[in-house]
Amino acid sequence: MRVILMLIKKEFLQVMRNPLLRSILIIAPLVQFLLFPFTADYEIKHVNIAFIDHDRSSTTQAIIQEYLSSPYFIGHGILASNDQAQEMMLHDKIDFVIEFPVDFEKNLMNRQKTGLAITANAINSVKAGIGTAYVQEVIANYMDELASAMPPEQNRQAQIFASNVFWFNEQMNYKNLIVPGILVILVTLIGAYVTALNIVREKELGTIEQINVTPIKRWQFIVGKMIPFLILGMMEFIVGLILMKLVFGITVQGSVSLLLGITAIYLLAMLGLGFFISSVSENQLQAMFIVFFLFIVFVLLSGLFTPTEGMPDWAIKLNYLNPLSFYMDVIKSIVLKGGTLQDVKTQIIALSCMAVIIDTAAILSYQESSK
Amino acid sequence: MHELTKKFGDFIAVDHITFQVKKGEIFGFLGANGAGKTTAMKMMCGLLRPSSGIATIAGYDLKTQSKQIKKRIGYMSQKFSLYNDLSVTENMQLYGTIYGVKPAALQVRIRESLKDLGMEKYADKLVGAIPLGWKQKLAFATALLHKPDIVFLDEPTSGVDPIVRREFWDRIYKTASTGVTIFVTTHYMDEAEYCERICIMSNGKVMMIGTPTQIKTDIGVDSIEAVFSKFVKR
Repeated sequence: MRVILMLIKKEFLQVMRNPLLRSILIIAPLVQFLLFPFTADYEIKHVNIAFIDHDRSSTTQAIIQEYLSSPYFIGHGILASNDQAQEMMLHDKIDFVIEFPVDFEKNLMNRQKTGLAITANAINSVKAGIGTAYVQEVIANYMDELASAMPPEQNRQAQIFASNVFWFNEQMNYKNLIVPGILVILVTLIGAYVTALNIVREKELGTIEQINVTPIKRWQFIVGKMIPFLILGMMEFIVGLILMKLVFGITVQGSVSLLLGITAIYLLAMLGLGFFISSVSENQLQAMFIVFFLFIVFVLLSGLFTPTEGMPDWAIKLNYLNPLSFYMDVIKSIVLKGGTLQDVKTQIIALSCMAVIIDTAAILSYQESSK
Repeated sequence: MHELTKKFGDFIAVDHITFQVKKGEIFGFLGANGAGKTTAMKMMCGLLRPSSGIATIAGYDLKTQSKQIKKRIGYMSQKFSLYNDLSVTENMQLYGTIYGVKPAALQVRIRESLKDLGMEKYADKLVGAIPLGWKQKLAFATALLHKPDIVFLDEPTSGVDPIVRREFWDRIYKTASTGVTIFVTTHYMDEAEYCERICIMSNGKVMMIGTPTQIKTDIGVDSIEAVFSKFVKR
């Protein structure tokens, strides 16, 4: 026990005296929380729009006015021709062109089929996709108004109201999604990255050899490394939760202690991963590459940046091996939806199994490399 | 030590070496770089597992009782390997504790050993900030904190100035006089003369074992350096 306490003390002294590690631990969460949510934002503002109006009626004028009064659109005037529109789109001056055909108003009033052409600049596919939805919404709103202004007998066709209610994230605020994601990234980085680099560094410096000639027991060494980084990881996580509340006003909907408990399990898995990587790497560079590679795979599969539902079947199945994906589910569930123990039972079992398997592999691999 | 061998794949780093070291002896391992000195030493310390052969260290069998051996030996590696970002005292506390020295006794030993080294002024300095000569002496003192039976020193004086080397050897003599066996590798020929017995290694094999005088007489030359160059040229 004395040995373990001494090892923990040693590790903390070293972390506090290592300027690089210190700044990673302090600055990383701050930068991630203060910068990332504002840059990784799916919300589209400042959509540049222009119009081609062949009808020049009061209806088209009214629709154009709808767009210009919306805070999401920046109007670039009424263009004379398609060629001009194409030219502007080519130079990225506009994102959307809306073209009204001749007799647009007349056909509309006579209940004949009419249409209008929306052309999107799809170089930025996210902007094009979300922008299209905005463009259509404005039209739909106008049509609704129009329909309700008409006398009932003229309003022959049943109106279909498509109304969107986004559950659990009512303002469709992407920060709500990104911020918990940052928590996940933070914990993963501390767990796998910092641990792996720390141990490989001892290998490079030769200090681990000096430890290996001592009668220290394997479990003492491993526990002496894991406890300090587990504590650091938990501290980072708590700092993350506080920043999440202070900066974004997002509070944990569910039980905080449940969240901390699962985070500890996840961290144990990540610490084991870091340990394992350090056993198979010769130097910090190798360790960094392996962690980075795994990290990217884990993050992309996890559904932090892209919904998992759109992935091919094999990728979804692969996610059953991805600890980050399970942990992400837990965070989303407990932080945003107020999930209870019952809701995240599967994830807890999965993460616990992974922690046991990864940590066993880590201990075995350390055994191999120390001989 | 009997027929101890270490293979790395096809490469035989240490080739069936056999010798005995007496308690309290200063035993020197001599050889060019790559002769297998460090590999042999690492096997004896339990850092590398021997491919074949048997060895008894401090009365324990190397293969089956490595835990007991580890408690009874001290080791100072070629590369300085105490923690540079811990202070002198913190390093000594760490290693003393790992070796199971009781806190009260450890405190006394650290104080005595720093006094002995004349290092009191460095006690709270970070190890990274003290001069190399002092670092080496500190590493030696740290390896002795748990009062081992045998100390393995792997090129302890490489890179330090002649005065510090001389001081270091005084310290080795002093330690040996208390009954501690000193096992030292070196490639400084003058240092070989300080050893009670030396073992010359080349290409993983033991070429000669004996006192420096004995070896010089046998070969018919007047310095270890001449002995050495003879073997290396072969």
